[in-house]
Amino acid sequence: MRVLVTGMGGEIGTRVANLIEADDRVDDILGVDIDPPRRRLRRAEFHRVDPRDRRKLVRIIRDFQPTAVVHLGVYEPNARCGPALARELTHQCTVTALGAAAESPDLDRIVVRSGIEVYGRGRGAPTRPDESIAPEPTSPYGRSLLEMENMAREAGVVANAAVTALRCAPIVGPHMASPLGRLLRLPVVPVAPLSDLPFSLLHERDAAAAFVNGLECGFDGAVNVVAPGAVTPMQAARIGGRAVLPTVGPSWLFARVFTELLGAPLPAHVRELLMRGRTADGSFAEKTIGMAPQHATPEVVKDLYEWATVTYLRGAEEAAA
Amino acid sequence: MTEQSLLRRRMDGSYTVDEWGLDTDLVQLLSPALALRWQVVVEGEDALPESGPALLVFNRRFGWSEPFVVSRGIRQATGRYVRVTGAPDVAPVGPGLRRLGAVLARPDEVGGLLRSDQLVAVALRASPRHRQLAGTAPPALLAPALVTGAPVFPVAVTGREIGRRWRLVIGPPVEPPTSRGPLAAEELGDRVRAGVQTLLDDAFPPSRFRS
Repeated sequence: MRVLVTGMGGEIGTRVANLIEADDRVDDILGVDIDPPRRRLRRAEFHRVDPRDRRKLVRIIRDFQPTAVVHLGVYEPNARCGPALARELTHQCTVTALGAAAESPDLDRIVVRSGIEVYGRGRGAPTRPDESIAPEPTSPYGRSLLEMENMAREAGVVANAAVTALRCAPIVGPHMASPLGRLLRLPVVPVAPLSDLPFSLLHERDAAAAFVNGLECGFDGAVNVVAPGAVTPMQAARIGGRAVLPTVGPSWLFARVFTELLGAPLPAHVRELLMRGRTADGSFAEKTIGMAPQHATPEVVKDLYEWATVTYLRGAEEAAA
Repeated sequence: MTEQSLLRRRMDGSYTVDEWGLDTDLVQLLSPALALRWQVVVEGEDALPESGPALLVFNRRFGWSEPFVVSRGIRQATGRYVRVTGAPDVAPVGPGLRRLGAVLARPDEVGGLLRSDQLVAVALRASPRHRQLAGTAPPALLAPALVTGAPVFPVAVTGREIGRRWRLVIGPPVEPPTSRGPLAAEELGDRVRAGVQTLLDDAFPPSRFRS
């Protein structure tokens, strides 16, 4: 198997690459991203390339001729870049990488990172949608994910390959670049006191395992990947010992400025999560990709707040003495 | 669990809220206050399963007590929480009711709850012209019970909106419909409505019910 991993420079991309490297059935691994990988790679070949550089990216992928693609080149707004750039990079990476991979004669499966943001949280929308619910995104990130899913399906039809769209709950963890994670770590967390609806998360390790399982199974369709359980924004802040900032109506504008000044911008899909909640039914994942997340949502929140104790290394002179 | 430990759990965030929004600690904290408003006598609770999914269909008039009476009565009698459909999706009322166990009146919501082995309660639609009748069943909300194979129980609720005392009678599960396809949900609705009507007629004198 020759596996192409887009977005290998992200936390999930690097974790997935490390897991695939340990699998003897995989012959070659190629990674591309705008950022370098987070950890040492033993077997994988990495190309640092901007997704907007179409000519270079197409050439690299055509030369590689993948038989499987794990498309993690999906950029969450305010995770690694701003909302406008994130949307552009996601679009360009999807069009170029999947378009070039679809020309590969032996391509038989594509696994893409989507999110439960595709279901949207409009008035009267299901609170815990399963895969049978038609996506109706209500945030720019949700629309970007749905567009990406549609392009992946189109590439799958061209290549006659199975397309697994893993609709992940917000992926959070101690090492994950996530606007929600940054927000919850602020000393003061804005919350909607009149609603305070539950949301579910997915641990970064469970997310990586889900993509590897999805690659093995080659299921054709969408699958929700959601940690069991839920927490509310107020509850999450209390678990972390944070103060809450009750925010209603227009005061969300003030909260946006406030959090941005503190280094945790508040994109639309995170604001929607805080005001309307976000959960999904993840029971289908066990049947289709044989995967049940190991970390429940409250554990994911606790893990987010648990910082390792800082251990200062002794100076060379002191060590020699 | 004592009230002190419940309050401590609220301060450190270690209480549990499920994916639909039910906050069991909050229900326990509010239970003494709810007892001041509703005193519920339950009959026939042995028919309900100790675990696993079930759909309860109850009559409702034009007050607001019946959903609280059903959820409180069954929780007291069996220890199980009931998810009553019909919460509005408007803050702060909707999220507040969801904390107490209410859910949106959507078939996919009912289906998801039944697949998660929950007790779900659906109200019959009351008719203003025929107050002595149980009402009509919403087939769309009953259809998930056919898909999941969950038993459907008729439940009769009676009491005065301005009073404290309420009675809840749970009947045996209705027979599954013989029809298939879209007609099955309609037939199930007719059967469970008839079941609720029978319970009302048997348990309460008609004159008292009309009062």
